[in-house]
Amino acid sequence: MRLKEIMDRTGMKETGLAVAFVKDAIALIQSQVDDNVATWKTNITDGTREYPFPANLIKLKSISVKDTNDSKYKRVRRLAHSPIVSEDTDPE
Amino acid sequence: MSYDTHKTWFYQVVGRNIELWQWVETAATDTVGSHKVKLPDEYYGKQLIYPDESITNGLMFQGTAFIEPFVDNDPNELDSASNPTLTAVSMGANIESAHINLSRMLTLAVIDYLKAQLSEMAGQVDVKEYYMREFWKKVGDDQSNKRSFMITFPASPFAVK
Repeated sequence: MRLKEIMDRTGMKETGLAVAFVKDAIALIQSQVDDNVATWKTNITDGTREYPFPANLIKLKSISVKDTNDSKYKRVRRLAHSPIVSEDTDPE
Repeated sequence: MSYDTHKTWFYQVVGRNIELWQWVETAATDTVGSHKVKLPDEYYGKQLIYPDESITNGLMFQGTAFIEPFVDNDPNELDSASNPTLTAVSMGANIESAHINLSRMLTLAVIDYLKAQLSEMAGQVDVKEYYMREFWKKVGDDQSNKRSFMITFPASPFAVK
């Protein structure tokens, strides 16, 4: 369905506002249901614990770490509680 | 070399980041040749440590992503029995002729969302609530269209047919 048809059905005249609302609706849909699932891969660096979420991620489904022993990504579990160590100044 | 990562790695969500932790039991090890050896003066006991090795493309996120909202072809129509090739359309003069990159049912839900927002702008909150209910109903219908399942149960031998 074209954006023009959507605007006709809703009686909207302002294209910019219609575009903004469509984007909002898509973000809302993606935050609730798995309509478009994607994967992102990034390097793990020795001694670094913080890794940012991908910029276009909306809802996290799982996090996996590569098992280099058999070249498979395996889902890792979320910690139920924060670790006792809040910062390690000498992780190496 | 990482192994049994589903048992030895954990994560924690902290704001916009995740913190990755590695579970070490008794000692940190390293691989010398094909043998795993315990490192002296390293981690002992059971504890969580920062990642102890570098792994190329070692971390994988899976989740829903923001998609290109407008495309040049209708995503719901086959192109000669094949799925259509969709190219993103950027904001410009022809944006009104672009297709919404959603299924037909979700596009109908988007229409309800727009009506809800317009009703809110007009101060008609009860009408907005009605259209938002319709919005979520159609989103739910779209999902249940993909997740049909069958429930079977044994029939009673004395059931009246």
